Amino acid sequence: FQDQAEQFFRSGHTNNWAVLVCTSRFWFNYRHVANTLSVYRSVKRLGIPDSHIVLMLADDMACNPRNPKPATVFSHKNMELNVYGDDVEVDYRSYEVTVENFLRVLTGRIPPSTPRSKRLLSDDRSNILIYMTGHGGNGFLKFQDSEEITNVELADAFEQMWQKRRYNELLFIIDTCQGASMYERFYSPNIMALASSQVGEDSLSHQPDLGIGVHLMDRYTFYVLEFLEEIHPASQTNMNDLFQVCPKSLCVSTPGHRTDLFQRDPQNVLITDFFGSVRKVEITAETVSLDRGLAGFESKFPEDELATEPLKYAEQLPVAQIIHQKPKQKDWHPPGGFILGLWALIIMVFFKTYGIKHMKHVF
Amino acid sequence: MAAPLVLVVLAAVTVRAALFRSSLAAFVAERVEVVSPLNAWKRVVEGLALLDLGVSPYSGAIFHETPLIIYLFHFLIEYAELVFMVTDVLTAVALYLAIQDFNKVVFKKQKLLIELDKYAPDVAELIQTPMEMHYIPLKVALFYLLNPYSVMSCVAKSTCAINNSVIAFFILATIKGSAFLSAVFLALATYQSLYPLTLFAPALLYLLQRQFIPIKLKSKSFWLYTMQYASLYLCSLVVIICLSFFLLNSWDFIPSVYGFILSVPDLTPNIGLFWYFFAEMFEHFSLFFVCVFQINVFFYTIPLAIKLKEHPVFFMFVQIAIISIFKSYPTVGDVALYMAFLPVWSHLYRFLRNIFILSCVLIFCSFLFPVLWHLWIYAGSANSNFYYAITLTFNVGQILLISDYFYAFLRREYYLTHGLHLTRQDGTEAMLVLK
Repeated sequence: FQDQAEQFFRSGHTNNWAVLVCTSRFWFNYRHVANTLSVYRSVKRLGIPDSHIVLMLADDMACNPRNPKPATVFSHKNMELNVYGDDVEVDYRSYEVTVENFLRVLTGRIPPSTPRSKRLLSDDRSNILIYMTGHGGNGFLKFQDSEEITNVELADAFEQMWQKRRYNELLFIIDTCQGASMYERFYSPNIMALASSQVGEDSLSHQPDLGIGVHLMDRYTFYVLEFLEEIHPASQTNMNDLFQVCPKSLCVSTPGHRTDLFQRDPQNVLITDFFGSVRKVEITAETVSLDRGLAGFESKFPEDELATEPLKYAEQLPVAQIIHQKPKQKDWHPPGGFILGLWALIIMVFFKTYGIKHMKHVF
Repeated sequence: MAAPLVLVVLAAVTVRAALFRSSLAAFVAERVEVVSPLNAWKRVVEGLALLDLGVSPYSGAIFHETPLIIYLFHFLIEYAELVFMVTDVLTAVALYLAIQDFNKVVFKKQKLLIELDKYAPDVAELIQTPMEMHYIPLKVALFYLLNPYSVMSCVAKSTCAINNSVIAFFILATIKGSAFLSAVFLALATYQSLYPLTLFAPALLYLLQRQFIPIKLKSKSFWLYTMQYASLYLCSLVVIICLSFFLLNSWDFIPSVYGFILSVPDLTPNIGLFWYFFAEMFEHFSLFFVCVFQINVFFYTIPLAIKLKEHPVFFMFVQIAIISIFKSYPTVGDVALYMAFLPVWSHLYRFLRNIFILSCVLIFCSFLFPVLWHLWIYAGSANSNFYYAITLTFNVGQILLISDYFYAFLRREYYLTHGLHLTRQDGTEAMLVLK
């Protein structure tokens, strides 16, 4: 029973997937693309590989003729952080980001010719992070300015995923106006949802950049990302901290969350359960012989192995340092000899012109 | 006279401060008429940024200003707007004091010549009186500070303002009679842009005149003084160049600054005459024509020195004008400097022949510059010939203005010694013609 109880407190997932969707196009929606790309960067940094990330973007920012810094998408003003870079893999780009494609990705009902990078190949031990951003309203989310997905459709899609055993646990984050309306209708188990604003509130954008001319990020995602910057693969921060991330004073809107469908206590849910790809490793001292008689293998497993503490990563790399690295710029200073020579000359000229009698005023 | 000057200075500073805050600052900083590759503020910032990254600012042919400017702006970069406003104010004050002193000299000389009976009897109306000369220094300061050219040059933060200020201090030092300071400032001006070298001759003539040394080639005292002044000038120039070497520990500012000024590699259009010629010239002629064009700047010094040896300050004015017309990268800031002197010669007004047409030409060309630039670069319905035509017209207008003033000056001098009503041998009325 002890083991059963322990199971409830630890996540039983073996792989992590992320579906990151930006539902806006056009230049003035720069911030939605920057939001999604920043989350993409964080998720990649924490270990989820590109093969497990389905990134859906309109991808018309970096090469937009209105972009004063081509081939870049910045998420901080003063252009500190280029989240586009040259290793971003967008799976669904431009006009492929539609409601139909999104639902097909989630439910897996995809034509057989779809390449592997465009499929969500999750199983019943997958923890999936679904992040959506764009323009939304009470009960719907607008896709590319031409269609919308309703909260009922989304809830039904998640139910299809549950019935087809396509997820172990799901974290749904939405950063739009009236975002909480999107998770009101969920009814499938093991779903935790976060939204940037309640029904009737608007989510606001964060920083305009005068060099680029548009707002670069939304507030909620900005503060979530600040929070995620502190997370490294070995961190033990839990979901309760994520719920506190953007208080009304910073976000102006009231972020909301829903945990009633989730079986574990959010206190015990690590951030890296969804945002990272942390493998559970159990070290054993026994040799394991792999031979034909594998049918009875599981019964030989000693029961007390499962009760051990999950092992943590050793601090091999100074992760916190690498994350926050920026080379310190050394300022140039004129050499002392030059300054001395110049001022000596100036003083000499001054005294030559105005006579030596002024010297006594100096000394 | 201090109070009106303070008022003028305040008005000018207010205008500049207001324009710095407006959107005009960003627009004007990009205009090719106001900034050139030599003195653009963008390039100064770029040079300082390169220096912060650990690279020599002269690598990459972006930055063509002298190391002393690097030193100045390294510490004053946050106060750049203030620096440029203060520079303009200092220029105006220096010009004010210089012209005040110059007026006293003119008046004294006039009195001497009247007493020596050198003037013809009927020239009373040509004699300058202290009453009309009283407001000239203020007008000079006003002309410099409120000239739209210098306002735009200040708002664009072009280092031409600093060059103008050094030249103004040089003029002040020369007129006050201090050979040492004048040599030092002339060395600074030459160090920054090569062309004030030609101002050596008028300064020398003025100082000789002040020391009452006659300008005869055989005279020993003439050569002695010339040697002293020349050695002061050359020594200060050498000292300043060596000092600049110590700033960056390299000599690569010399090809970047002086090599750039002399060889004109950058053919961005400006209000000068070089760019169009060299844009269309074949490679194997370009060296020859570069030499011709550069000699053109220095060429007028000796003939003008011979003709205007009694009037060195007018010579200085004409020389400054010639520099700003024929230099390799002129901007409107250079034009503003010699236009500041026009009130000093306001007594020549009655002898100017073409002043109305020339002022119209200059004003219209100033307005047409941005129009034709827009048509060429943005609308695509004109080409470089249109812009060059306006450049040509503007420069022809400037040249005619200078030659008109030259003519008027010489004519007045002739009338002073020969009387206003000229008669020929047989008694009929004669006309004075400049041949």
